[in-house]
Amino acid sequence: MQRPSPWLKALAIITATLVSVICLYPYYWMLVSSFRTTQAILSSPLRPWPEQLSLDVLREIATVGGTPLWRYALNSVLITSASTLIGILVTALGAYALVRRPKFWLFRCLRAGFMVTIMYPYMLLVIPVYIVMYKIGLLGGYSGIILFLALGPIQFFLFEQFFQTIPRSIIEAALIDGASEAQILFSVVLPLAMPVVATASIITFLLNWAQWLPVLVVSRSPDTYTLPVALLNLNGELGVNFQGIMALSVLTTIPVTLFFLVAQRRVMSGMTAGAVKG
Amino acid sequence: MNAATAHGPPRPLLPDRMPPVGIFWLFVLPFAALTAVFGVWPIILSIQTSFTASATALKPNPTWVGLANYVSIFADPVFVASLWRTLLYTFLAVVSTITLALLYALLLHSALVGRGRTFFKLAIFLPVVTPDIAGYVVWRWLYDQSFGALNMALAALHLPTFGGLASTSTVLQAVLIAELWHHVGFYVVIFLANLALCDKGQMEAADIDGAGAWQKFWHVVLPQLRPALLVNSVYALIQYLKTFTVVAVMTKGGPNDATNFLSYYAYQLFDQGRYGEATAMASVLFAIVIVLAAALMRLQRTRPAG
Repeated sequence: MQRPSPWLKALAIITATLVSVICLYPYYWMLVSSFRTTQAILSSPLRPWPEQLSLDVLREIATVGGTPLWRYALNSVLITSASTLIGILVTALGAYALVRRPKFWLFRCLRAGFMVTIMYPYMLLVIPVYIVMYKIGLLGGYSGIILFLALGPIQFFLFEQFFQTIPRSIIEAALIDGASEAQILFSVVLPLAMPVVATASIITFLLNWAQWLPVLVVSRSPDTYTLPVALLNLNGELGVNFQGIMALSVLTTIPVTLFFLVAQRRVMSGMTAGAVKG
Repeated sequence: MNAATAHGPPRPLLPDRMPPVGIFWLFVLPFAALTAVFGVWPIILSIQTSFTASATALKPNPTWVGLANYVSIFADPVFVASLWRTLLYTFLAVVSTITLALLYALLLHSALVGRGRTFFKLAIFLPVVTPDIAGYVVWRWLYDQSFGALNMALAALHLPTFGGLASTSTVLQAVLIAELWHHVGFYVVIFLANLALCDKGQMEAADIDGAGAWQKFWHVVLPQLRPALLVNSVYALIQYLKTFTVVAVMTKGGPNDATNFLSYYAYQLFDQGRYGEATAMASVLFAIVIVLAAALMRLQRTRPAG
């Protein structure tokens, strides 16, 4: 192999650095702006550091649209955690059954139904889901939001793909030993699946944290809104509280950003694997 | 249940003695319930609603109007314009996403970048897991004419200012840039995963044969990237056809309908209680997604193996 020239190397690194700056600058601007008064940003939007480091803005956004900020934050944590937990449990079991009995016609119908669901334009699925929830009385509560968010494509593909790689000999051996299917699931398959469970949980958490339209449509009042929905509302209000918008953006972004940085390898490889299957 | 297990020969992957479906029913039940209630039922309901009069859509006995909603939406110039706009935007977005992601993945994969690779990968992927609302809110204000850091920076560099979201001639580019920022990292990482699986021996053989960089790319690398190309184009296609959040946050379909994409227009009609027309539009968009995705997969399958 010929050795790449140092010029080419420098050019490559400069390009990649530029791209990274474009990717990261919005975060930096958001963070700096959240410490600056709206007036100050108007006069010099590009100032690279804030005039003062005070958390006064938190008092300004202590209530958004008449509901306290802590309520939105709590809703975010509650709805995201619950939908992740339920989603992982339900999807893992479902995918396992579909992999173990792939030829059974009803299971094939179910898989086809799921595929059609994830192909359907998600934002427009929310419309008929609203009508369904209206019919079965799930509108306005937490349970409707949580159950709707529990279903998602990436976790399903991750589990399906993983279960397909479990060698048949392992399951066969357990069957010959007289183990029941429940025993096989809990003492053979589940221990093997723990890394996938972890990956799928983290990814589902990140994706569900960002969800907003289902939350907005199923809710009947801001009492069940999450942080992204509160941010959307604040952004749509008349009389722009620019600093408040930036501060709320930071609050919405920071938890998932830290979470991602800690688990980055898992998240990136998991999302790739989940997608490549689809 | 025993009849069910007799279906078809057992898959080679599975034990030969297939125990009854039995307990698998139990495993599958919650998943089936969620898929039915939040997937299949709403989709059927949506298709059904598209054949009924909006005013009666939520009542137990809706009035059937046949294809009237479909006739009405295709007679609506706003819808037809929105349909073409959505297709055009999707085409531009898919092509630019795939091209940029491929080029950047090749750059990060090459020996040129070295140890900074992990950081560059993180930087491009971080926006993917950032809540889209927060990302688009920040971009909306970066573009803003009075707050805007962007135009200030352009002016400082003596470059012409960017109309951003305010002008019909630049708003599509502005929306596309924000969407690329949010999405492209996902596609980069998929290409990188595929590149990592590429056969190094073929590259070396091409080197020995004295192939140029372009020849190597075209004849050695690109054929091996077919799986990622297929997955990425299908994903990008589905994703951009339903472009919604960026519009809801940044433009509300404007200025002058310039970003009024299909999803957003349908959602507005839904908000006004025009359920029949909204669901008819949803069906049209769904049909487009299915047809284009199927065509892409077919195209990839019939092309001779590289």
